[in-house]
Amino acid sequence: MRREKIILDVDPGHDDAIAILLAARADNLDLRGITVVAGNQILEKTLNNTLNIVNYADLKVPVYKGMAKPLVRKQVTAGHIHGESGLDGPDFPSLTLEAEKKHAVDFIIDEALKAEEGITLVPVGPLTNIAAAILLKPEIKDKINRIVMMGGAYGLGNRTPAAEFNIYADAEAADIIFKSGIDITMVGLDLTFQAQAYPEIIDRISKIGNKVTDLVVELLEFFGSTYQDFYGLKAGPLHDVCAVAKLIDDDVFTTRKMHVDIETDSSLTYGRTVCDYYDVTGKKKNAEVALDLNKEKFWDLLCDILGHYN
Amino acid sequence: MADKKKIILDVDPGHDDAVAILLAAKNEKLDLKGITVVAGNQTLEKTLQNTLNVCSFAGLNDIPIFAGMAKPLVREQVIADDIHGDSGLDGPQFPKSTLKEEDKHAVDFIIEECLAAEDGITLIPTGPLTNIAMALIREPKIKENIDEIVLMGGSYTLGNTTPAAEFNIYVDGEAAKVVFESGLDITMVGLDLTHQAKAYPEIVERIAEIDNDVSNLVVELLKFFGYTYNRVFDFDAPPLHDVCAVAGVIDKDVFTSRKMRVDIETDSELNYGRTVCDFYGVVDKEANAEVALDLNKELFWDLLIEALKKY
Repeated sequence: MRREKIILDVDPGHDDAIAILLAARADNLDLRGITVVAGNQILEKTLNNTLNIVNYADLKVPVYKGMAKPLVRKQVTAGHIHGESGLDGPDFPSLTLEAEKKHAVDFIIDEALKAEEGITLVPVGPLTNIAAAILLKPEIKDKINRIVMMGGAYGLGNRTPAAEFNIYADAEAADIIFKSGIDITMVGLDLTFQAQAYPEIIDRISKIGNKVTDLVVELLEFFGSTYQDFYGLKAGPLHDVCAVAKLIDDDVFTTRKMHVDIETDSSLTYGRTVCDYYDVTGKKKNAEVALDLNKEKFWDLLCDILGHYN
Repeated sequence: MADKKKIILDVDPGHDDAVAILLAAKNEKLDLKGITVVAGNQTLEKTLQNTLNVCSFAGLNDIPIFAGMAKPLVREQVIADDIHGDSGLDGPQFPKSTLKEEDKHAVDFIIEECLAAEDGITLIPTGPLTNIAMALIREPKIKENIDEIVLMGGSYTLGNTTPAAEFNIYVDGEAAKVVFESGLDITMVGLDLTHQAKAYPEIVERIAEIDNDVSNLVVELLKFFGYTYNRVFDFDAPPLHDVCAVAGVIDKDVFTSRKMRVDIETDSELNYGRTVCDFYGVVDKEANAEVALDLNKELFWDLLIEALKKY
């Protein structure tokens, strides 16, 4: 099997944690490294959370520390959803694992440049690391086969009525990505809200009964409670996991190609992914936007791979 | 009926506006005091002529019609001839209208009628909000007598004229801002709701079976409207946007709604005219509009078909 080379860029975050667990054990993915960015919490915490997950699940994957702040705007985090640590809920054993010395942005550049058949980037946090890499070394664009990213919405936002958190947290970075000319798949809230982990799903994961699924259950229980409190949703949506699932099986969701612009000028709609769903602007289509989740396939795939941790 | 609801219908016909007029004029719960016309789907000259044509054709000779604002408050004018055609109501051929508009300006009529309505009045704007905003700016006292404004416009998800904005709000975002910030009770009937009111062939068939002059006109209107909606938006049937607002005033059960904060984007070119709807209550601002969510389709179509049978 030809394994697709990927770099996973994360800001854990509960759904990020599960995305890592999925990406690390998928047979058709070659996870070259995990790059960490500030997002759901400050960088120190998202890095710590990433190392905790990698350590706990005993993953042999290098972890790189990236950008601590957005390119231009003031930093915002999502402590109301992911808690004080950014990964509230489970208690992790004390940590000995450390991040690599190399900066995440340098790792992305080096890894892309040396990837003869190209590489896939999977950012599931704010796009600061990816944008910084493209700004520093535009040549990597030729080596990036595609970017499958979690972020945005053509319907409602979550952080603001207009904007989804990852894009809102660094819209200038998102603008660079969407204007880069690279093949982009945007996995937005319209899709990820279809991936809510209802109690019957949590129950199914719990029954797998290994050390990693026990952790996933704890994560989902905390995540579900904040989504209930904050958005009135009955279960937490596994946003970031959807992006990784698309790489494992292309049939996991449908997409439509459209033009997507990023709002950076207005305070009211800052960070909105303006998606030309009906093709009314005549602008060139620059992203495949995720539409409908095949839920059965999605949960089967996740449960199957979590079973590999037995 | 003793307690008919006083309304002013503000329109820019427009195929769905035309059907909205026909519904508003023949429902026993509504007391249609007048129809005010605004530029929107086409220029004012054309939307006025279309209003006169529809009312004349349907024998609605006792409802006064007023010409209103010909241009948006601030923005350059845009029209929707891609959807409604060169006349603004392409499709049917109308006989020469026997009606004429009143001498009074629509904005003056709105102001006078509202000031006189001590027991309250409901405004139903289904075009750009220029007339309503102008009336509110000119005579803020009218707010005291306006029970509510039930408007067709906006969207909490996708727009139609642009990816961000629905046509009526896009045409005059500044006017929409005046209305949404007026403090009045507002119900926003946006695309999220109106796209549930698509006139599928089985609906058109039901209307055709009524078989009077007016229902036959509606069938012709829907045929043209369906054709353009298919061409521009790839829809399988045309949505009767404006009719939803009127139906919602007749019967509250026609759609559900959720109260939320709605801000109008006027600063950004990319998102100009977007109705930024705080569906999840994440911003710390006072809720200012009931936003329409789910259509009771059966009730909606029954209401319309019952009204059309009365012609």
